[in-house]
Amino acid sequence: MQTDTNQPQAAPAKSGTLSPADRSTEFVPTQGGAESASAGSLLVWAYLLMWTMLLAFVLMTWLRQQRINDRVARLEQALARKPAS
Amino acid sequence: MLYYSPIMATDSEGVYKPPTALPTQAEPLPPASKTSPWSHVFSALCVVTLGVFLYLIFFIFNRTPDAQAAAGGLAQKIFYFHVPAAYAMYLGGVACFLGSAAYLMRATDTRNAWARAGAETAVVFGMLVLVSGPLWAKKAWGVYWTWDPRLTTLMLSVLIYLAIAVLRAFGGDGEAERKFAAALGVLGTVTLPIVHYAVRKWGGNHPTVITKGGGGLGHPAMYEALGIGFLAMTLLWILMLWMRISLETSEARARHAEERLITSGHIDEL
Repeated sequence: MQTDTNQPQAAPAKSGTLSPADRSTEFVPTQGGAESASAGSLLVWAYLLMWTMLLAFVLMTWLRQQRINDRVARLEQALARKPAS
Repeated sequence: MLYYSPIMATDSEGVYKPPTALPTQAEPLPPASKTSPWSHVFSALCVVTLGVFLYLIFFIFNRTPDAQAAAGGLAQKIFYFHVPAAYAMYLGGVACFLGSAAYLMRATDTRNAWARAGAETAVVFGMLVLVSGPLWAKKAWGVYWTWDPRLTTLMLSVLIYLAIAVLRAFGGDGEAERKFAAALGVLGTVTLPIVHYAVRKWGGNHPTVITKGGGGLGHPAMYEALGIGFLAMTLLWILMLWMRISLETSEARARHAEERLITSGHIDEL
C-alpha cells in the first residue's frame, strides 16, 4: 500500500470556527467527537457491510424470480390438468 | 434466473399484449427466452462489471495513496465506493422519476416497472451511502452521525424511496397503489437536488467532495480511482435496474396469464 507523504497535513480545525466555504474543502471534527476508532477496522466494516447489502439485494431478487417461476409452473400444471371447456 | 427484455411482453408503446391465441391443454405457456440475445448482453455486462470492480479494488489498495489524516487517512478509501454509490442513488431516483411521471401520463406495465425498479435501486444505493458514510465520518469527524444538512436530506430521500418500495411490496398492486407510488416517486425526486446542493447552501460538516477537493483528493491516482468507482457503480446500477425491471415484467406477464386463463375457463383456480 502506498503512502503519499507529499500531501499537506491539514491542521485540525474546531467545529464552529470555520465558514461554510471553508468547511466545503476540509474535514472538520465535530465538537465532542473523539478519534478513537481504527481506520483499518472502519474500512473493513464499511466494505463488509456494503457487499453484504448488495448480495442481500441480489438474493432477494433471485428469490422473487423463483416465486415467479413457481407461479408459471403452477399455471402450466393447471393447464395440463383441465382442458378448455 | 431468467431475464427478459423489459419490452419483450409489450408493444412498441410499452402496453402489455397478451398472446392472441390461448394455449390449449397440450401447450405449455410460452417459455421464458433463456437464449434471448438480451440474456447474453446481461451475462456479458455481469462479467464486465465484476472485472471493473476487481480492478477498482486493486487500484484503490495498490495504486492510490492514503489521504491526509484530517480526511480519515486509510478510512478515506471508503470514499471510492461512498461517492459513486450516492451518484448511483441519483440515477435510481431519476429512473423512478421518469417511470413515475410517464406512468401518471399513461399507465403501462413497463412504465410501472421502471418506476418501481428505480425506487428500489435508489434505496439500495442510498443505504450503501448511509452505511459507508458514518464509518468514514467516525474517523474524519470523530462521530458516526451528525445532523448535517446533506446527511439529513439524504436520509430523508432514502426514506421516501423506501416508503415507495414498502408501499409497492406490501400495499397491493392495484391501480390506486401504483398511482400513489408514482406520485410519491415524482415528488421524492424533487429532494435530490436539495441533497446535492445542501452543502453549498447551508454548509455543515460534509465537504464538497470533488470540485473543491474536500473528499481528501490530493493525488491524480485518487481521481482515477474515483472515476473507476463511478464506472463500476454505474454498471452495477444498470445491472440491478435491469434485474428488477425484468422481475416486474415477469410478474406482470404471469399475472396477466393467470387472469386470462381464469377468465377463459381454462383453469378454475391456481
